Formats: sequence, C-alpha cells, structure tokens
Amino acid sequence: MNCSLNEIELLAKRAARGVGYCWSLAEEAGKATRWLCAHDVDGVKQLALLLQRGFAENPYRHRPQEIHGVWQGDNALCPIMTGCLLSDCAARLRSETIQTGPLAVPTLLLPFAAAARITGAPVTISAEGWQAEVQASALYADDIFPQQTDAVRIQTGNTAATSRRPRRRQTRATPDAASLAFLEHLARQTYAPATEESRRLGAG
Amino acid sequence: MKPQPPITRRPPAEVMRLSRLGSLHQCRLSFMRQLTRRMAREQWRFSRPTFDIDDKGVGHAIYTARAPHRAYSLVAFAHDLPADKRSDRVIAEAWDATFTLFDGIPTAADIKRLQQNVPLQEAGRVSAKELSLSRANQSVRMWTHVLDSLAAGQQPDMKRIAEVGYLMRTTAVYGSGKFGAADRETLADREELQAPFQAEMLSVYLTRAFVRDLVEHMASVKGGKQATRLQPEIARRLGIGNSTGLGMAPFLVNHPVLLNNWIMAREEAIARVRRLAQASETAMQTFRRVMRQNILSINQWHSDHPIQKEKLSRLHRDMDLLRRHIDDAGLSAPYPWDALMRWAAKNLSEEGQECLASLILEPYAELTDDLCASMSDAGGDAVIDGAALVGDTRALIEENFAWALKLDWNAKENCARAWYVSEEKLEPRLGERFAEPIAEFEQPLAPARDAAAAWHDLQNWKDAQPIAEFLLRHPQHRRAIRRAQISIHAPYGEIRDNTISAALLPIDMLRAKLSFFGATHFDPRSDRWVRICMYAGAPYPETLAPENADQWVYPEAAP
Repeated sequence: MNCSLNEIELLAKRAARGVGYCWSLAEEAGKATRWLCAHDVDGVKQLALLLQRGFAENPYRHRPQEIHGVWQGDNALCPIMTGCLLSDCAARLRSETIQTGPLAVPTLLLPFAAAARITGAPVTISAEGWQAEVQASALYADDIFPQQTDAVRIQTGNTAATSRRPRRRQTRATPDAASLAFLEHLARQTYAPATEESRRLGAG
Repeated sequence: MKPQPPITRRPPAEVMRLSRLGSLHQCRLSFMRQLTRRMAREQWRFSRPTFDIDDKGVGHAIYTARAPHRAYSLVAFAHDLPADKRSDRVIAEAWDATFTLFDGIPTAADIKRLQQNVPLQEAGRVSAKELSLSRANQSVRMWTHVLDSLAAGQQPDMKRIAEVGYLMRTTAVYGSGKFGAADRETLADREELQAPFQAEMLSVYLTRAFVRDLVEHMASVKGGKQATRLQPEIARRLGIGNSTGLGMAPFLVNHPVLLNNWIMAREEAIARVRRLAQASETAMQTFRRVMRQNILSINQWHSDHPIQKEKLSRLHRDMDLLRRHIDDAGLSAPYPWDALMRWAAKNLSEEGQECLASLILEPYAELTDDLCASMSDAGGDAVIDGAALVGDTRALIEENFAWALKLDWNAKENCARAWYVSEEKLEPRLGERFAEPIAEFEQPLAPARDAAAAWHDLQNWKDAQPIAEFLLRHPQHRRAIRRAQISIHAPYGEIRDNTISAALLPIDMLRAKLSFFGATHFDPRSDRWVRICMYAGAPYPETLAPENADQWVYPEAAP
C-alpha cells in the first residue's frame, strides 16, 4: 500500500507502544520510522524486525548502562534507546568516536545520527560489513540492513567507502506488506474496545 | 504626555488558561480570512466545470479554484441519504454529501477512483493527489425551509436563516496525510498553503458554493418553472456549519509550537495596537463600525447549552457596557486601546475581553497582518538538547507548570479522566478513569501531569548534571523534557490547566482551535462537541474581490 508519512509515523508510534515501550520512546520510534521511509529505506520493515525482539518487556537490559565509555547493555542494545542517547550526547562526537557493543537493527540508529548532527559535519556509523553516512538531510547507505551487529562506531567525518549517491528522498512510503500488517496488529493493542457505554459517554 | 510603562504581550499564565482559550473569538489573523484576502488579492479564478446531479440529488460536481501557479478542485459527491442514517457522530457511515480537495484538475480516471472511495470516508482511501477528505449533512429544518421556499418561487425567511445560519454542516474535515492524503510537508513550498489549514479552509469555502448550488438545483427540480434562486444577499448570510467533537482536542496538546505561534501572533497583534499613543479618526470609525456590526452577529448567536447561554448573556451585557463606556470615555485619551483593554480586564467577562481584543485589531491591517506569516510551524521536530542542565530544566518546568507541581495527581478529581483511542473509528475519546477499563489505553494528553512527574524525579538529580544522563535512566520523561525545552521559544505552547481533571470542559479546547479557523456562533451540544458556523457573510467565489474579502465576518444590518 502507498501511505502518507504521517500515517507511517502514527502507526509506528502506536505499534511501539503496543509492544510496551513508553509513549516517549514510542514517539521516537515513530519519528525514526518516518525518517527512514522519507530517505528511501523501508522503516516499517526495520521497526517490525525490532519489535519482534521483545525488548520492551525488559527495557533496562537493552539500553546503554553508562553514558561514558563504550555503550553496552546486558544484552543486545535497542536502537531506539541507544539512538535517543546518541541524539542527546551529540556534543561528544565533536571530540571522540562513540562505540557500542552488540546492537539490534542498526539501521534504526541512522535517524538519531541525523538528529545528532550538531557540528554541521557528516556523521558516519559503521560496523563489520556495514556502514552509512548521514549529512544535512541526506542519507548515504547501500541496500544492506543487518538484523544485528556486534559493535558500532559513530564518528564525524565521511568515509570514502560509502555509496556516493544519497538515497532518493520520498514523500510516500510503500512498506513491505507483512511488516505493515504486523505493525497494524501491534498498534491495535493501544485501542480500547468500543462499548455502547463508551460510544455514549466518551465521544464527541 | 506621561511616560507609559512598556506595554508587553499578556503573560502565558493569563492567556493559556482553558476558560480564556474557551472564550476566544475570531480575528483578522483567522485562517478563513487569511484565505479570502489572499484569493482576492491574487485574483484567483473560479469555475464549475461539472455539475452532474440528478433529480434525486445524486451525482457529483467539480469546483476549481485557480491560484496564480496552480489549481485546486473540490470534488463533491451528493447522496440520497435516508433520514435514519443522518448522524453528526464520527461513527456515522453515510452522509448527505462527501468531498475531497484535489490537487489540480481531476481526470475522468481520478473521478472514477474518487467515486469509489470518497463516499466511504474513513473506510475508503485517498492518495497523494488529494489534500483533504470531508463530509456534510443537511440541517434538515433549514434545508427543507429553503428548498420549499425556492421551489414555490419565494425567498426563505431571513429570521429563520439567522437562527441556524447554514444549509449543511460538515462533520469532519480531514487533512494532512489522513487516509492516504498528501502530507502537509510535501506542500510546504507552496505560498498559498503556507498559513495553517489553508487547504481545509479552501475546501470548506468551495463546499459552501456547492451547497448553495445544490439547494437551487433541487428547488428547480421540485418547483419547475415556478422555482426561483436565492437572492445574493440572502445566500451571503448562509455559511457552512461544522460539528466538531473530541477529535480536534488532542491537536492543541500534540502541537505546542503551532499553538504557541497562533496565540503569540494574536497576542503580539494586540500588544502592537495597545502601544499606539493615539487612534486616528479613521481607526476610531472602523472600530465603532465593526463593534456595531459585531453586536448584530452576537444577536444571531444562539445556544441552548447552559454554560454558553450564561456566557452569551454576559457577552450581551459586556457589549452594552463597552458601547456605553466608549460613548462616555471616547477613544481620544493617550494610548486609547491600552486603556480600553485595561478597563475591559476590570469590567468585562473573559468572553467580552477576548471579543474586544479581536475587535481592536480591525482598524490596523498594516500593523498586524504581517503576523499571519508567523502562524505555521516550519521548524520540523524539536531535538532535545542533551547537554542542558538538570537545574535549568527544573526551572523551565516550574515556569510552565508551577500550579501543577502543587497538585495531588493521585487525587481522583485531578486524574478522573483519561484520553484513549477507540477501536471503532480510531478517534480520540475521553473516558472516566475510575469507571471504565481504559487506563491501560491512555494516550499521552496530560502534559501538566507528565511535567509534574518529571519534575519530581528530577529532585533526585544535581543541578549541574546533563539532562542526557537523566533521560537515559528515565526515558519515559523525554516528552516532558522536550516540551520544557520547546517552551523556551514557545512560551504559549502549553495549556495551563489540567486536561484530565474531573472539571475539564473539552469544548474549551475545541473553541480555541476553531476561533483561529475564524469560526463564529459556537454552540456546544454537550461538554465535548460543538457546532459552529463558517464563512457566513463571505462573498461567494463569483463575487469575491479585495473590497469584500476581509471584514465579511461582521454582518451589515439585515436586508
């Protein structure tokens, strides 16, 4: 289906909430999914990959334990929680490279690297066999979308190895049908079942 | 002349209370008036390439508006709706008429596609070529009266027209990306759609022309040769009604920057006028004229809702007081508008104060209309500054929500309500937290409560710690922290009242938004839905011109 980006963002937010992320993180997931779709990456598919992992059941195990040093979780890191920290710690990139331990669905980190671009310099995110670069409003990345990486390096500056053509900006999304259906299923968990009572009392 | 203390914008703590937001009136910055002024200034051309409606009132019509660089077309579908299916509720599944605003001129294939989808509304699907999706139902009593009169070769009774104000009312106008429509962002470079809700306002403006044409068509079917058409001055009094429920309320909470920009523009306009040391003779004349005309409009404003009835009776008294005060005190003292606003703050109800605040802008197009350009939000998503300090963040929350920090948020009356989304049509509803099983579905629409919760957790952190560390431990507070940071540049972005209180009147939130559209004659039908009138008095497309494009909202004496 051909969707507006508003629809994608709202669906992604509700789906993330549906699996148990708090509304604050669900909102971040929505924005990240929209950003990927706007940059010609199927964000819906990437988010579906993440939400299948069940990280929201025990979020503390999947977030960086400390703000300093290498970002490690007890288990594979969640790219939404890690991405928020990356965006919040953007200043660190001015003077150092940020490194993480194992990270799930690293493509979902890219929108946060875009938000982290505070110096005006491009930000490169790389892992074994995968890398991407985020500039102003452009994404340079090949069609490789790992399910998980062992370690990620995030630094300012560009790398010659990345594709030199930015991905095409999109104003619509055509997500993978199964992933879309999965997110719709999760989003439904946030809707209250309608009752005659709620129709009568609650609606405008 | 005595030196005057600096006249500043009214503080958010005064303006952003729900009772005041629920008393706002349209003004010259309103989105409908921005649109009609632009269309006249730029000499938009209008046409009706198709009006294919049969004798039963079923078919479709196309109304095209040509702006300097592109065209927009209202595609209207008329239906034969059984009376028992007519409902303003969002759960309705059929309507008297359904609409979409098409980007450009639709082809036959477009019309075919739209025919299969637009009449279904939420159950259908539109595309990136459509900018809005809407529907309307007849006001049966007004429709019947006008139809029967015209069919019999007579004009409808102006008194009855004044009582209702419209032939049809829209029950939802969906825009920006809804049900597959184009996202606002994709239209952001179009000057004519820069101001908020311009596509929606255009859609309603053209809908009004369609509804007039439809009733004349049906009258000619019914009355044959005997039938007549509406006299232009009577047709002009007819607006388009709108019935708005809770769907609109979360918008103000979810868009703090937009809310700020709307309120800030109006407050800045008010402050600019108050800063004038004198009022010219022409300005005084304009003010007295719109004040008189506005009283006519208020006289035609009816509501049976106890709260609005009370507010209206105060407003009548306020307008009386205002007229007498101006007769006695005049407008020739130094800083006359400031003096008037100060007098109003002491002597008028909030309804009267806000009515006056809008009226004093009328003589000053050149001083205020540039503010129209500041009412959108072109900034994109606000990124949290993780380097901000805990101490500064706490202070921001205290600035916006001092009142909320003292509140016992566990007390039942302070969290009696919960906003949720129903499975049925995915629209927002408001429920009773302690009486219905809805808490687990609660939507984040209580920023005051959430700010208070963040503030309490911040007490355990040192002033000089970066907020990034706090957010790593407390990710649930990201929304509250983001909003606190937004408030640095958007001081009017937060409603300074409890949006989940037992005492909440959602109609106050609806009215705040609708007043910026330019709506008049707010008629709450309960504490959570309201009927309004749009475009009453406005020239129709064929007569729109610079001289009638602006102050049409103020009625002339009835013909």
